[in-house]
Amino acid sequence: MNVYLLAAIVLLLSLLPCGWVCLRDPAPINRLIAFELAAVVDILVFLLLAQGFGRDVYFDLAVALALLSLAGGLVFTHFMERWV
Amino acid sequence: MGVNAKLSIEIVLLTGAVGLELVCAIAILLVHDPFDRLHFLGPTTSIGPALIALAIVMEEALSTNGVKAIVVAVLLLITSPVLTHATARAARVRQYGHWQALSAEEVDSD
Repeated sequence: MNVYLLAAIVLLLSLLPCGWVCLRDPAPINRLIAFELAAVVDILVFLLLAQGFGRDVYFDLAVALALLSLAGGLVFTHFMERWV
Repeated sequence: MGVNAKLSIEIVLLTGAVGLELVCAIAILLVHDPFDRLHFLGPTTSIGPALIALAIVMEEALSTNGVKAIVVAVLLLITSPVLTHATARAARVRQYGHWQALSAEEVDSD
């Protein structure tokens, strides 16, 4: 195990608070904020895993997720505004 | 630069990035106001990815993987303020029914 895999494992712990807020918070907007943070953590975990395993293809996952998380987040905020 | 020095710098960069992400994730849990929570998205999308991309570039130099790590960091740096603004706007609409400045009556009743 190298430092990148170790960092990825520790970084995965960041998903626990995000998951808790996503599942337990009564306000949908707070759940969305936790979801956005979780998406960023996922992107960084993909980066670290790609470097840790030495697989070039995995870097593309991080790039794709970085692009798609913006689109997904904007769709969620759009519907949050509409359905007050 | 020696192998040990390079590894040490990478460890410092990764520790900083992971520590920052953990602190911000815990802060999201502890803070309850949505506008306060949005503040913690800033460091996680700007400093954290930059540190990780720097660590990868230290290891890989400007190879394909290094450039992709930089692209991810830059993408997050550019797109995150847009998403944060849209989320804040949605939160304000949900709270007040609109996102424009509050009228005097609304300020009094708030």
